[in-house]
Amino acid sequence: MEDKKIILDVKNLNTSFKSDGKLIKIVKDVSFQLEKGRSLAIVGESGCGKSVTVHSVTRLMAKNSVISSDHVIYRKFNEDGTAKEYRIDKMSNYGKEMRSLRGPEISMVFQDPMASLNPVYRVGDQIIEGLLEHNPGMKKDDAMKMAIELLKKLGIPAPEQRVKDYPHQLSGGMKQRIVIAIALICNPELIIADEPTTALDVTIQAQIMELLKKIQVELNKSIILITHNMGLVTEMADDVIVMYMGRIVEKGTLKDIFNAPSHPYTKMLLASVPVLGMAQGQKLTTIPGSTPNPADLTEGCEFADRCPYCTDECRKGRIPGYEVSEGHMVRCRKFAGNKEVD
Amino acid sequence: MAKYIVKRILTMIVMIFVISFVIFVALQNTGVDPVAQSLGVDNYSAETAAAIREKLGLNDPLIVQFFRWWGNIFKGDFGYSIANGYSIKDGVLAKWPATLEITLWALVISTIIGIGVGMLSAFWQNSIIDYLGRAIAVLGNSMPEYFFALVLIQIFSIKLGLLPSAGRIPVEGSRIPNLILPIAALAIPLCGNLMRYTRNTMLDVANQEYVKLARSKGIPEWKVYFKHIFRNSMRPVITILLFRLTILVGGSVAVETVFAWPGVGIVLTQAITASDYPVVMFYTLFMAVMMLSISFLIDLLGAVIDPRVRLEK
Ligand SMILES: Nc1ncnc2c1ncn2[C@@H]1O[C@H](COP(=O)(O)OP(=O)(O)O)[C@@H](O)[C@H]1O
Ligand code: SF4
Ligand SMILES: [Mg+2]
Repeated sequence: MEDKKIILDVKNLNTSFKSDGKLIKIVKDVSFQLEKGRSLAIVGESGCGKSVTVHSVTRLMAKNSVISSDHVIYRKFNEDGTAKEYRIDKMSNYGKEMRSLRGPEISMVFQDPMASLNPVYRVGDQIIEGLLEHNPGMKKDDAMKMAIELLKKLGIPAPEQRVKDYPHQLSGGMKQRIVIAIALICNPELIIADEPTTALDVTIQAQIMELLKKIQVELNKSIILITHNMGLVTEMADDVIVMYMGRIVEKGTLKDIFNAPSHPYTKMLLASVPVLGMAQGQKLTTIPGSTPNPADLTEGCEFADRCPYCTDECRKGRIPGYEVSEGHMVRCRKFAGNKEVD
Repeated sequence: MAKYIVKRILTMIVMIFVISFVIFVALQNTGVDPVAQSLGVDNYSAETAAAIREKLGLNDPLIVQFFRWWGNIFKGDFGYSIANGYSIKDGVLAKWPATLEITLWALVISTIIGIGVGMLSAFWQNSIIDYLGRAIAVLGNSMPEYFFALVLIQIFSIKLGLLPSAGRIPVEGSRIPNLILPIAALAIPLCGNLMRYTRNTMLDVANQEYVKLARSKGIPEWKVYFKHIFRNSMRPVITILLFRLTILVGGSVAVETVFAWPGVGIVLTQAITASDYPVVMFYTLFMAVMMLSISFLIDLLGAVIDPRVRLEK
């Protein structure tokens, strides 16, 4: 992928949490690249480390976390085709450099719109806060005009009135649009949406996802979408990462994953979705067996206990990633004959 | 809003009236004979007692006495101590400025330092300032007030000879040195609790999702703490803060005793132990007014801080 425009490049990301004096590994050797203008879906059961992965990238992590990686690079592309590289892995969490990226370059939409807005400030002020921060000297009135303009684009009726509301005066769907407005107001290149519609009802889910897709396509933005809704994945994503217990078990384009699912876990995931594409409200059904405790695992394949194809080999050492086809990687011993790519 | 305030104030007036009646009746039935109390048992004849009763109106129905008492209050007559005979106006109210002088300062100073250090301890968790705040809180909670006062006197008056150990008005020179130790003795315990409470509430709020969202906007940490965390922590903090205002009315017996401070604390405590019911009555009424006003203020400030609080309901 040398010539392509890689906006985010993550290499061997590991995140652990200190708890009771022990260090528990949650994210293990995660590597991926995101091309500018594409959208990447991260799927996997809840608790597998999707949120921790993206929060490790943006460095919005709890104090008890330990993050390490070979590198996490964000690239800012200039009009003339040159790019500036930011080594996020070398920045301090809340330092000036990292903060200069948050908002104008990378922004986030969180899972729970009810909890994402500060109850004591008017939503308009919450939208323009980042704008004023990153544009010193900008007048509050002008910023508010931009916020109103953006809300109009997001399909919010009477935005002049809405900006004066407090969060508790708005419905859940409206709140999530405000949260999206906060994420978009500085015109970021990379939008990370962590299960942005889980808390909302199906019709509003669809509206909000359509909105995000439109922004991505029309403005050539990049999106990372975390979801466990496979229907959404088919509608939104260009590339897909499947995670299981903190590890990427399969990675490829949408076509790779849906037409040639290779990891036993991916197959189970897809088998649990009856009608692809149209399954808007469809969530992953439970897969037999329970997720092991991350603290217990030492080596071998994390999926071994639930895998029908498990052999003795599967319980030993580190399982490499093998190439299924170009750009399509699977982490499973069954493919041991293929080329090792990770 | 205005309608709500008027309604609240009217309700308060009614409540004060009802509360005062309940206290009045309760104190009348404690079995204390005011005549015996003021003249001393067996020092008078039955006729004298009857004459005094008639003169004081103690034979009138309770309700008549109650309204007479209120009528007198409106005239500025708060009654007399039955134990010592002093007028409440001179014996208690006149001492109030001395109490206010130290309690008000102690409240202001402990609030500023308590909230300030609490914020800094949340911002720099497990730093020196955090440990210092924790130490002060433990000291403040584990030592009685009078012990604190004595320790301060031991250090600053006896060992260092810097500050006077007692009295309110010095023979000559500035009064300020006389104020310092009593204020410190009051303020330090108040400070400690407030620091910890502010810190812990802020750390709770810091875990909220909206704080993460605020950080994702790229604003600096001090703004995250000031704008997003602090304001949301203030409602519970203000509640404990305002309930402390009662020391403005009651003063502090311990501090007044140790520093020979001529405030209301000692007088009121004596009155309570001596069943001096006109004084107790007056004190209780004053306290009730204070408590009702405080809870009113808490509701009002709560609504100012948090728009989710609806006053009209
Ligand atoms: N601050 C933390 N301290 C300890 N464990 C954490 C912390 N944050 C997340 N975890 C753990 O990390 C695991 C992955 O969480 P998460 O990334 O939120 O999962 P999901 O894939 O559902 O987004 C969970 O087991 C969770 O309990
Ligand atoms: S490595 Fe073995 S246990 Fe793991 S998924 Fe593949 S076959 Fe199953
Ligand atoms: Mg999550």
